[in-house]
Amino acid sequence: MSGNPYQDDRGNKDRSIANPRGSGTAEGARRKGKAVAAPGGPFLIGDSMTGGYGKGPNILHDCTIAVDQGEIAVIVGPNGAGKSTAMKAVFGMLDVRQGHVRLDGEDITTLSPQDRVSKGMGFVPQTSNIFTSMTVQENLEMGAFIRTDDFSDTMAQVYDLFPILKDKRNQPAGELSGGQRQQVAVGRALMTRPKVLMLDEPTAGVSPIVMDELFDRIIEVARTGIPILMVEQNARQALEIADKGYVLVQGRNAFSGTGKDLLADPEVRKSFLGG
Amino acid sequence: MDFLNAIVALTNYVVIPAMSYGSQLALGALGVTLVYGILRFSNFAHGDTMAFGAMVTILVTWLMQSVGINLGPLPTALLALPFGILGCVALVLVTDRLVYRFYREQKAKPVILVIVSMGVMFIMNGLVRFIIGPDDQRFSDGARFIISARDFKSMTGLNEGLAIKTSQGLTVVTAVVVVAVLFWFLNRTRTGKSMRAYSDNEDLALLSGINPERVVVYTWLIVAALATVAGVLYGLDKSFKPFTYFQLLLPIFASAIVGGLGSPLGAIAGGFIIAFSEVTITYAWKKVAVYLLPERFEPDGLVQLLSTDYKLAVSFVILLIVLLFRPTGIFRGKAL
Repeated sequence: MSGNPYQDDRGNKDRSIANPRGSGTAEGARRKGKAVAAPGGPFLIGDSMTGGYGKGPNILHDCTIAVDQGEIAVIVGPNGAGKSTAMKAVFGMLDVRQGHVRLDGEDITTLSPQDRVSKGMGFVPQTSNIFTSMTVQENLEMGAFIRTDDFSDTMAQVYDLFPILKDKRNQPAGELSGGQRQQVAVGRALMTRPKVLMLDEPTAGVSPIVMDELFDRIIEVARTGIPILMVEQNARQALEIADKGYVLVQGRNAFSGTGKDLLADPEVRKSFLGG
Repeated sequence: MDFLNAIVALTNYVVIPAMSYGSQLALGALGVTLVYGILRFSNFAHGDTMAFGAMVTILVTWLMQSVGINLGPLPTALLALPFGILGCVALVLVTDRLVYRFYREQKAKPVILVIVSMGVMFIMNGLVRFIIGPDDQRFSDGARFIISARDFKSMTGLNEGLAIKTSQGLTVVTAVVVVAVLFWFLNRTRTGKSMRAYSDNEDLALLSGINPERVVVYTWLIVAALATVAGVLYGLDKSFKPFTYFQLLLPIFASAIVGGLGSPLGAIAGGFIIAFSEVTITYAWKKVAVYLLPERFEPDGLVQLLSTDYKLAVSFVILLIVLLFRPTGIFRGKAL
């Protein structure tokens, strides 16, 4: 892995001395930068980002994704196109070597991920997006970790949005079904009352019925005024609800436009939507 | 009467020593399990961290004794304990800053950290011997017994005496208090929950705005406090010798693994399992047997399964059995 000798465990699988469970891959937690005022532009934009993991090769090449107030922006593209990487880059979980990330009139490129949470960004990763050993309620509490005020009303809102979670609030989140886990994951991100919500394939691995339900909930969240930036495998369904769409191919912007435009674009249809 | 005598003998020679030894192991294993669960490696330097904390406590105890401060019937070391904890906290935080942090930044694999902790172990080992010397040190004072064997005999009229040392009573009480506070902290407080969250899923903790470096610092604080308490209690109960603390590593790891690494509850259960096995297997059962069996079955030998010299082998065998048949431990570890 990227030739770092410290990351070579020489095939050790002895769990009695080494505990790989839950170890992180995110970079930039120790970044110490400050936000710089940069007025204008969309609410959240990853502007011509180039970067990759660790000291490895670039995965993103001059890639731009943005979302504005009251919008849903959707990133689609084939496997390995760098969709998740672009999301992580916007959240600061890997080093952006060129380009900038701006949020609400500030340049936050040099901010650590935990500082971006305080700035009002919420992120739901694609995998391992809940604390499996903690109860549903504790998951939500952890979502509200940075809040020092009383967050019981936000928790009530999350329970209103996802009623099933209220019934299961004292159950370990790891015991829930796939769809319920995704609800916990989105609920956790909502607990900070984010100014922008980023979802990485929220419907991955859930049944079609649950998927429709999740899409409805996401639209419901967007209606409360939170802009949503979302990566989605179900390109057609996602583009239908999108105000803005990006098609990434090999880390580059291939097409972008409104959701309707992309759905109508014959090239996009042929390559990504199956005709 | 014989039956009562047998019970008293058993309590005196097996139950009470094993209870206090088990509490010491449990406290040690809790520290190991916290490092394993949150920092994700097995800390081989834990025995020597205990020795360092105990050493600082001993030095402060001697200072207090020399100026005449004492706690009456309780050992002066209790007063010195906070200073020992502070010293130990300073040591582990400096170690983390100078050594472990570099490897965290490299995102080093846990097995690399295990080897690093061995290096740290040798340094701490040398440091302790350099400061206080390799010899036995005694630092307990105050009343020696809560109940002495003679008092017990005159009180009850039994042949067998039951002695409870102050250090033994203190050990069990302290262990209960410390464990209760630790569990309350991990399950009820915001910081404790953030530590569990970090243990569960490092990236997601980051995404929730939890500062990983702060979690690491809190973990070391707690581990240093647990190690010092365990080290001082062990030293009060037996005596302080750096090499013994290094040797304690095996029963402590055995306890943590038997209970399930990463599970605090498991660490406690494991500590008592190891302690009771060690003591019962190395105890000479003749006395109890004489009381319980009819005269013609009276044993000739000591009825001791294993010489006390081999007590470390007991933890080792239990460790092997658990790793063979239930590698995740009794409490299915891996989670805080």
